[in-house]
Amino acid sequence: MTLRADHVAGAFFIGVGLLIIALSGDLPTGTLSMPGSGFMPKIVAGLTIFFGLVLALRANESKVFATLSWSDAKHAALVVAITAAAIALFERLGFLTVNVLMIFALLAVIERRRLVPAAIYSVAVAVTTYVLFVYVLKTPLEPGPFGF
Amino acid sequence: METTLHSLYLGFSVALQPANAWYAFLGCLVGTLVGVLPGIGPLAGISILLPVTFGLNATQAIIMLAGIYYGSQYGGSTTSILMRIPGEASSVMTCIDGYAMAKKGRAGAALCIAAVGSWIGGTFGVLVLTVVAPPLATIAVRFGPPEYTALLVLGLIFLAYMSSSSLIRTLLMACLGLLLGMIGIDNMTGHFRYSFDLAELGDGIGIVPVAVGLFGLGEILATPSADAVKEIISPRLRDLLPTRKEWSESALPITRGTVLGFIIGIIPGSAHVISSFLSYAIERRVSKHPEQFGKGAVAGVAGPETANNAASTGAFVPLLALGIPTSPITAVLIGALMIHGVSVGPTLVNEHPDVFWGFVASMYVGNIMLLLLNLPLVSLFVTVLRIPYAYLYPMIIMFCIIGVYEVNNSIVDVWIMLIMGVLGYALRKFDFDPAPLVLGLVISPILEQSLRQSLIMSNGNYLIFFSRPISLGLMAVSIGLLALAAYAFILNRADWRTKLAKVEAGEAET
Repeated sequence: MTLRADHVAGAFFIGVGLLIIALSGDLPTGTLSMPGSGFMPKIVAGLTIFFGLVLALRANESKVFATLSWSDAKHAALVVAITAAAIALFERLGFLTVNVLMIFALLAVIERRRLVPAAIYSVAVAVTTYVLFVYVLKTPLEPGPFGF
Repeated sequence: METTLHSLYLGFSVALQPANAWYAFLGCLVGTLVGVLPGIGPLAGISILLPVTFGLNATQAIIMLAGIYYGSQYGGSTTSILMRIPGEASSVMTCIDGYAMAKKGRAGAALCIAAVGSWIGGTFGVLVLTVVAPPLATIAVRFGPPEYTALLVLGLIFLAYMSSSSLIRTLLMACLGLLLGMIGIDNMTGHFRYSFDLAELGDGIGIVPVAVGLFGLGEILATPSADAVKEIISPRLRDLLPTRKEWSESALPITRGTVLGFIIGIIPGSAHVISSFLSYAIERRVSKHPEQFGKGAVAGVAGPETANNAASTGAFVPLLALGIPTSPITAVLIGALMIHGVSVGPTLVNEHPDVFWGFVASMYVGNIMLLLLNLPLVSLFVTVLRIPYAYLYPMIIMFCIIGVYEVNNSIVDVWIMLIMGVLGYALRKFDFDPAPLVLGLVISPILEQSLRQSLIMSNGNYLIFFSRPISLGLMAVSIGLLALAAYAFILNRADWRTKLAKVEAGEAET
């Protein structure tokens, strides 16, 4: 049997449904006249499993899994990694420092732009945004150890 | 009628105050830019800019955010026509004939027809909203849990039925959204559900991190900058006026698009997207020259562009009259009003007439502003498109982080956004449309509460949904739509939705 995209997608949704049912073990289902907090999640999880099953059974209409293009995956993974690092440092270093570093990293590491223009652009964008939000729109942004 | 006119006068006196008019203009301008820029749709745009409205009063906030919403519908047509990139989802159909017109040297005419059609659709929508919303709000006071349940179920089924991709895919996305909406404290029993001892998850998952992650970050992850380079056709200002023939060819599609868009807008679902798809299908079917579609048919631009604007306005009817969000965008707007202490629903007209009528009047003003903005400034918006994507997307990521963090000052929300971005990327790979997921998330708490309340009211009898006239009518429509969809699905027949999807796919490749 050829593995198709909808086999994988269907299996994923069946897994999600089963996981929800497993996690709902301690939630009371209640009765029809007095539904509990587990009532609706179990119904929707059941529907998710059912639809996932239908998707997997009708997978022949979908693309072969091996033919899915993942050429953009490296770009996506790098963007996720840099953004994750920025989020992790956001509350420690503050808005300005983190965003200068993040924009610079995205331009220098992923886009391979020249370092000096990338640095100037990063500082200019982050500082302009900071001034716009803090002084013009009066919306405070997360301060860092240096107060900005 | 006299009362309505008097109230509208009150609305204009609010909307035309310099500060309010300024925020309407700002919203329209930003909305147009949001629509123009690929990868940042109205939902992400509104979510990102939500914190900016915290310093404003409720009227100014809703005027500005609504301006972004309908402004983005105008702006979305620019990239569709000039670059064949839909700035946002509802502009997909405009790409086909709009870009073909541009290739034939009629870019200016296509932009003008799109702008005028959008203006007519939007203004008609506001006119009907003015007349319909207040009496509907009076009726809506009689809506009980069974009616709300039936209406929300109809919304989900309508969305699934109208989706040109796949019924099962849409329902799966909606289920996933409903499940995400159940995270947090259960309002009726106080139980914590799926919050894994994280205090931040106690209030549930917000719409903003999910929407920004799926639509903003997800789009960026799926778009390497090398793929984002496109040829831009720049129209000259003197070529903006369509010929007499083009005007006459666009008159009926604009009329049909206006009515169709508004009606679809009222029904819960991704109204503006569905309306443009449906309008294109109808125009193609009624056209005397269907072979011209895909090669620069004026009706292929006029119909969908008008319909998506009329739908955007139509979506405000259930929002203002019933207080239920019919799309992720209107849900964010409700959230914005709640932040300002204004609860949206049938009582809004009486409790906050300045907000209600000021908002309605601002849409008249905003639509005129957009018409004046979009035509003369089209060259300026085209200039924005010349910024290399490699420089643009880091800035968008920064705005995504600010937008999400500022809503609750919660870093957990930003992590959720990142996870949703990855999910959005994966969903695109497997041909899933994330919009129903967000809609599911939005309606999940209301649907669950109204369903459980209905069952408690009826002592567990499901027939309650069929024993009250309004809910019976809504359920009958839902069952009818499901039967139609199931008929095509079981017999594996290609109905009009499948055929339309194939046409789109075929024409996108040419």
